[in-house]
Amino acid sequence: MSSSNPNKLISKADKLTKLSLTRWSADWKSATLLYEQAANGFRVSRDYEKAKLAFEKASKGQEMLSSPWDAAKHMESAAALAKELRNWTEVIDFYRRASEQYMQCDRPQPASDSLAKAARALEDALPDDAVQLYTDACVILEDDGKEQMAFDLYRAAASIYVKLEKYTDAATFLLRLGLAADKCDARNSQCKAYLSAIIVYLYAHDLQQAEKCYNDCSQIDAFLSSDQNRCASKLLSAYREGDVEEIKLVAQSSTISNLENVIIKLARKLPTGDVAKMQGDADKGGEEALDENDLT
Amino acid sequence: MTVIDLITRVDAICKKYEKYDIDKQKEANVAGGDDAFARLYSVFETQVDAIIQKSEAVATEKNRATAVAMNAEVRRTKARLLEEIPKLQRLTQKKVKGISKEELEARNDLVFALKDKIEAISDGSTAATKQSTGGWATSSSYTGIKIDSSSDGRFDSEYFQQTEESDRFRQEYEMRRMKQDQGLEVIAEGLDTLKNMAHDMNEELDRQVPLMDEIDDKVDRAASDLKSTNVRLKDTVHKLRSSRNFCIDIILLCIILGIAAFLYKQVF
Repeated sequence: MSSSNPNKLISKADKLTKLSLTRWSADWKSATLLYEQAANGFRVSRDYEKAKLAFEKASKGQEMLSSPWDAAKHMESAAALAKELRNWTEVIDFYRRASEQYMQCDRPQPASDSLAKAARALEDALPDDAVQLYTDACVILEDDGKEQMAFDLYRAAASIYVKLEKYTDAATFLLRLGLAADKCDARNSQCKAYLSAIIVYLYAHDLQQAEKCYNDCSQIDAFLSSDQNRCASKLLSAYREGDVEEIKLVAQSSTISNLENVIIKLARKLPTGDVAKMQGDADKGGEEALDENDLT
Repeated sequence: MTVIDLITRVDAICKKYEKYDIDKQKEANVAGGDDAFARLYSVFETQVDAIIQKSEAVATEKNRATAVAMNAEVRRTKARLLEEIPKLQRLTQKKVKGISKEELEARNDLVFALKDKIEAISDGSTAATKQSTGGWATSSSYTGIKIDSSSDGRFDSEYFQQTEESDRFRQEYEMRRMKQDQGLEVIAEGLDTLKNMAHDMNEELDRQVPLMDEIDDKVDRAASDLKSTNVRLKDTVHKLRSSRNFCIDIILLCIILGIAAFLYKQVF
């Protein structure tokens, strides 16, 4: 049966499912079987378009047979083929449907996995959608209480934001990663996340934000007693003094080399812009605050 | 022994047994009877001389341990004497009968001179550098004698006589220290990497623990399902093809055949 022409199989299966005078109810069981075989045949012969269609139909058949797990699996295969065809909207669509079907089976992990796969596929083509997919995947995992798995997704999302040069968003994501790490008591990842956030702020030439971020993070005990804390304070004090050599020295240190590749690249490019000017801005900001206090 | 050695020895011996020189003692006592300053001053002088003798002995001492011990003594007495100097200074202010004003002022100077003399006494920190450096085996033992780093500053003062050997030695010491520092830095970096990897491994294992628990549960359930299925299967097969039933079947079949044969025989 499998050796016969997949086209023939598809037409046969279609006939089985079409309702007409002679057929009062569609025979999904055999139809699904035929659809699966046809899809495999098409994939082997590298006819991706038809294979994708066949997988879609097979998935629908499984849904009719009320087995969402198999339906989701077929949807994923269809999505993978759509990725080959670079049909991005279809990719998003299929992966989202697969994820919903996984949630129907009460299996949140494969659901978030499929969203993550979608995001990875879209990283180059549609980065905004990719980030959205990553966020949704993280939300699914967090609802299930499995934040540990979300670390990688957060990191990937943050690196996409950095590529898009949306530094505040990237830093926000890193702080969310820190929060997730805090919940599962993963101190090392947490401190690394905070240090990365501070570096991103500094790269975006925003000393006040970086300092604010540092102050916030210092409230947390785990960060306070870590290597990353010392490194961050060294970096910030070097920035405040405007000492370019010191900044470069700290950026070469091993603490920073243990972070993500993207962050290391940012750190090596520090300091961006005029450090002395930043220092002046910081001082001015301080003075203004004093004046306000005097008036009140 | 040369003449000079003899003379110095004689002097040393005389000094040592000065207390048995009755005439001199009487003089000192009479003088020191009403004068507290003079008494204290003479006490000081004797102690200072003793220390000077000891420090000179250290210079000639071959055994390092005794040298260190004697240096420690010298330092201890020096510290004690320096503490007592303020007392002496207070005494200089007191007016004493029979002493002129000029003498009083001279006493102040005497006290200061005494202080300088005490501080000038060499103890182990400068003595080590003055000694011949050719005799030391390794630089690590040399650093063993330097007890506090404040003596580093002393090297620039006038107490340090720079000999060629000590200069070379110091350079070697600096080179070795730099190499040590470099090596330690390499080790520190390696340790940092190890620490980071260990932390990451720790987190990864933590991540996998709940997954393993889930797998454990599922496999347990599957195993118990299989067991019950097996038991039921065994029962069914037993019922269908148990050996006892089989024998009974064969016996009954034979009986039927026997009856059939009997009947057949009967008919024919």
